[in-house]
Amino acid sequence: MKYFAAVALSAALSLYPCASVLALSLHGFVGGAGGFRLTDDPAQARDATMGEGRLQVELSQDGPADSRLFFKADLIGDGVEERGDADLREFYLDVSPAQVIDIRAGRQILTWGTGDLIFINDLFPKDFVSYFIGRSLEYLKVGSDAVKFSLYPGLFSLDLVAVPHFTASEVPQGERLSFFNPFTNRIAAPGESLSILSMRKPAATPENTELALRLYRTFGSYEGALYGFRGFFKEPVGMDPAGGTLFYPGLSVYGTSVQGPLLGGVAGFEFGYYDSREDRPGRNPLIENPSLRYLVGYERELRTDFTVRAQYYLEQMLEHGAYKASLPPGAPEKKEYRHLLFLRVTRLLRYQTVELSFIGFYGPSDEDGMVNPQASCKITDRMSVALGANVFFGKKGSTQFGQLEKDDNLYLRLRASY
Amino acid sequence: MAKRCFVWFSAVVLLFLPIGGLFSRALAGTPGEAEEIMRRSALVQFYSGNDMRANVTMRLLSKDGGERVRELIMTRRNVKAGGDQKYFILFRQPADVRDMTFLVWKYPQRDSDRWLYIPAIKLVKRIAANDKRSSFVGSDFSYEDVSGRAAEEDNHALLREEKYEGKEILVIKSVPKDAKSADFGYKVSWIDKGNFVLWKEEYYDKRGSLSKVFTADEVKPIQGFPTTVKRTMKNVQTGHWTETAYGEVKYNLGLADGVFSERSLRNPPKELAR
Repeated sequence: MKYFAAVALSAALSLYPCASVLALSLHGFVGGAGGFRLTDDPAQARDATMGEGRLQVELSQDGPADSRLFFKADLIGDGVEERGDADLREFYLDVSPAQVIDIRAGRQILTWGTGDLIFINDLFPKDFVSYFIGRSLEYLKVGSDAVKFSLYPGLFSLDLVAVPHFTASEVPQGERLSFFNPFTNRIAAPGESLSILSMRKPAATPENTELALRLYRTFGSYEGALYGFRGFFKEPVGMDPAGGTLFYPGLSVYGTSVQGPLLGGVAGFEFGYYDSREDRPGRNPLIENPSLRYLVGYERELRTDFTVRAQYYLEQMLEHGAYKASLPPGAPEKKEYRHLLFLRVTRLLRYQTVELSFIGFYGPSDEDGMVNPQASCKITDRMSVALGANVFFGKKGSTQFGQLEKDDNLYLRLRASY
Repeated sequence: MAKRCFVWFSAVVLLFLPIGGLFSRALAGTPGEAEEIMRRSALVQFYSGNDMRANVTMRLLSKDGGERVRELIMTRRNVKAGGDQKYFILFRQPADVRDMTFLVWKYPQRDSDRWLYIPAIKLVKRIAANDKRSSFVGSDFSYEDVSGRAAEEDNHALLREEKYEGKEILVIKSVPKDAKSADFGYKVSWIDKGNFVLWKEEYYDKRGSLSKVFTADEVKPIQGFPTTVKRTMKNVQTGHWTETAYGEVKYNLGLADGVFSERSLRNPPKELAR
């Protein structure tokens, strides 16, 4: 796939002189980003968390009858992993075979739901490593190889996504960021990366095709949605001690969300029932339990160009008793309720060309969290720079942010768009 | 002594108050008339046709020579003339916002509903928008300057009639009924007596100093509607100003209400994208 992306990218670049003749639209950016650790991490050999140059090429070509071909890929020179790489971000075809149907086929980024950096019904792959080391927000999302059908019969709208080929989320696995090794019950040692422990992905068979559905409509100023998903966890939350592997257990999700104006701001609520199909009774501690997940969010512009968003997330393990009874001695115990608080504060200055932002997560139940202050500036219409830090804290290595406790980093990004 | 003075003073004030009132009313017309002029002017500025689209180019200029350019395609549809409206905006420039789309359902009497679509992550984001005075895309124009302020939100008075650049002009002063609903203390509008085009508007801050000046630099008839195709908003306190040009303006395209939806945000149809 990488080779294909590289070939497609060079082909695309060679088309540049003909772009205007073909009515192609060609855009992208050249950028550099660097980041380094603020504390010494005994589990990590390198001080750098990021050091890369990127060339992004985006091509789009309108075809007959509202069709469109879209291509976006990055060529990357990576100083941390000391290699060159090509990343095919998106490559899809849009067609509208009828007035009320849109179809998008190919590698595409999919996003839905009401959360800000907290996802319940959005079960499409994400790259949390990129987010935690300070890449720009677009790299939080990873493309899925999928077909999306969107239907607009009138009273409501419907998105139906079929993903024949499973794509996992990127999670910390020891290469740039530390991770908690569930087999040894401690933060992994240097060189001990998750990719060395093998991660078993679901086979690309017809019955493993993931399906995601969203049914939505507006009620005046309010938006309501119902969601359904049948597929697999995107994080490796299943363990196979016999084979020494981690895997992605079967998952079905049923959820709903509402969003609309409240007290001069916007409020949202989202809910999901996570049916962990391979451990419904919750007696297998090696597979994630079924759970209920709730998210309440509220955002308001407190004064001009000063916006605050707060979120409260609750994850309720459904079979906690069975889980606790089956837990081997010495294994870290997850609590029945996991609470997570989120705050985002954004201030725009100088005709909205300077943005100061602060993002904070705090989990009172896991006693962990992170903060991400960032200052960014659009130097000109084409040039931008961002400087920020990610600081993690946590008492236990087994929690989401606790495992990253020694991965605090400072990052700087520069980008020139064309 | 002081008491007697006060009584005399009060009597004089009481005697002249109604006369003063009559006098000023004769000069200014009735407040209802002034409000009607502002309402008709708003219809011309923001409601011409059933719908409208334009290629909007904004040049953001600072006194030290800095220049930034915003290019967008703006489409609007009247749900009701003088009332609710829907706006769809597709950004073309600068590069970091290219292909972003923005949907506004505007209600004169309450907060708008706003959605922003960020194509890089395919995210439709609901925007909290209780501040209509916040800057539109970093320019000197506020959201309200782009989509209009309801005439009912202010008390209006006709100050005078005068000649302005060869045109018969009605000069109207407007004071917000709720001071918190605006970032200006009052504004003065120069409105064409013939076709109700707004030629100039001065905004005064809450201390009474001039803060921003709007001028219509070119107005031409398009499909019979007088259309301000060039306009400037200057912040006289900072020296920053924004020149806006409306190109390829078309009215009455016959856009359906359903076009102003999440579907278009994610995948803008050709009638909104070119």
